[in-house]
Amino acid sequence: METVSSAYTVELLVANRYGALNRITGIYARRGYNIDSLNMITDNPDVYRIIISSKGDEYARTQVVRQLSKLYDIKEVKLV
Amino acid sequence: MSTAKLSGAQIVIEQLVRHGATTVFGYPGGSVLPIYDALYQNADRIKHIITAHEQGAAHAADGYARVSGKVGVVIATSGPGATNLVTGIANAYLDSVPLVAITGNAPVPLLGRDAFQEVDIVGITQPIVKHNFVVRDISDLESTFAEAFAIADSGRKGPVLVDIPKNIQEAMCEYGGKIADAPAPREIVEVTDNAIDAAITAIMNAKRPFIYAGGGVIAAEACTLLQTFAELISAPVGFSLMGLTALPHSHPLALGMCGMHGKYAATVAKSECDVMIALGVRFSDRATGNIEIYKQNKTIVHVDIDMAELAKNVAPNIEICGDVKSVLQRMIPQLSAVRNQDWVDRIAELKSKCGELNQVGEFTPQRVIETVGDKLGGDAVIATDVGQHQMWTMQYYPFKAPRTFLTSGGLGTMGYGMGAAIGGCVANGRKRTILFTGDGSFGMNLNELVTAVSQNLPLVIIIVNNGVLGMVRQWQKRFYEQRYSQTTLNRKTDFVALAEAFGAKGFRAENIVELNSILKHLPSEGPVVIDCHVCMDEEVLPMIPPGKAVDDMITTKFDMEVAN
Repeated sequence: METVSSAYTVELLVANRYGALNRITGIYARRGYNIDSLNMITDNPDVYRIIISSKGDEYARTQVVRQLSKLYDIKEVKLV
Repeated sequence: MSTAKLSGAQIVIEQLVRHGATTVFGYPGGSVLPIYDALYQNADRIKHIITAHEQGAAHAADGYARVSGKVGVVIATSGPGATNLVTGIANAYLDSVPLVAITGNAPVPLLGRDAFQEVDIVGITQPIVKHNFVVRDISDLESTFAEAFAIADSGRKGPVLVDIPKNIQEAMCEYGGKIADAPAPREIVEVTDNAIDAAITAIMNAKRPFIYAGGGVIAAEACTLLQTFAELISAPVGFSLMGLTALPHSHPLALGMCGMHGKYAATVAKSECDVMIALGVRFSDRATGNIEIYKQNKTIVHVDIDMAELAKNVAPNIEICGDVKSVLQRMIPQLSAVRNQDWVDRIAELKSKCGELNQVGEFTPQRVIETVGDKLGGDAVIATDVGQHQMWTMQYYPFKAPRTFLTSGGLGTMGYGMGAAIGGCVANGRKRTILFTGDGSFGMNLNELVTAVSQNLPLVIIIVNNGVLGMVRQWQKRFYEQRYSQTTLNRKTDFVALAEAFGAKGFRAENIVELNSILKHLPSEGPVVIDCHVCMDEEVLPMIPPGKAVDDMITTKFDMEVAN
């Protein structure tokens, strides 16, 4: 497995509920992955689009995507 | 037709009944008064068991869920009631036990103002639940419960917390009819034919196949399929602590637990296999030791319902995301019977060596556990606390059926046992239930004796009393040059008198004859405490030191003279 750290971005569709952002950043924080940038597109009041850039190797990327996919408030996770 | 208007508290009751939660555990308080009032009025529909402490209630709901296979329910008030649940919720999370925890909270207008007994329990529990909710609008209450039960009991099971502010419990709302049950939460299950084909090819070409079975086998109700699968390919089976009862202890292919304190044959066979089929396990550090050595020279097929477990700790060669039952159902018809005699012989050799290592002396903890197993065995539910006695129970108790072993695996919670035994006993028709505990662990939550007494539960509580925190002492002996820091207890507790003071029966055993006699004359109802005085220097063996591998396995007793 490739272990070189590089920048990557995930795009999430998230139900607009209290604390959803907290749950998302919690996944990064627990493993000690820094968030470089976070953008939120809120034109749909029910489902927000959140775009997060971070750095990590292939293991980190896979884990982040799979852990985020387990969050109940998250409707879709894409590695872009 | 108009639908009835109910209070929030009545909606809670209706939703509990609708989801089959007819036995719940909890402790009342200011912020759940409306729910407890509704419980009072619905005592014929829901049995509520009050414990001594909310932690005990959470462990009881956990034990109830493990035995019954249903979702356990625990109720606590806001503030300290809610925070007292935290260890129990974390315990359920680490062991994938379906649980719905209901907490009260300050009324919505007071949330965030540090009101009396207000804590942000949703924030506190966020990393240790599958999901949690604050119900801020009464019209969300019904659907929230449907979601909570669906989340707890689907996919990889686990705890869900529902925090209900007091004014929401009092508010009135239409109930029923308008809201259907929430859809099952989205699960990621992508079992492709390619993955199944690859697994089958690997298994059919294996010279030395080995099955590593975990809690996922039991959660998926796949124990019978596991047995069929193992027998078909003549593969020995090693277990994680959570999977230990997936096959009967006496099954010829069952080698016992793998890992740090696993059985010799299981751990060695696992290291020697060429294909490992890992079913519903998460490759915890206690199970693997050094990961690089662990995965050497073998093809690993990992089946788990939780996609995030695949390649989290050990990168498998073939990963299959799906529940163990449906995957085995697809694989078994495509496999033909195979048997490699050399491997079968090697396993027999390892098992006989295992037998030699396990010879035990007179009134040792291991002998206590074996004796209780012989005398009371049958199909009793067994609970443990955490430490040496837990590992000896895993090694020596002759388990016969799934859902009979309640133990804290992932979190390693000392104090889990009393609550778990209570919940397990209730779930098992209040039949005789055995708790193996240590004097250290028992000290943590022995207050729950009050619950066992008030419920008149036939618990047999075996205290493996060595006067020390044995597992920590063992590590201090091996790795800290016998500096026994804070592990020699000097407590002088009279557990017989203590049991009697609580209204239970108490006995003391200093040798095997006394223990046999006590077990022979056990009262048929109510809790019994048997204080077994054993040597403090017995060690849990074999042992693979943390981060080490099978070649570093310690199989002989610590020799003080050699060490000094």
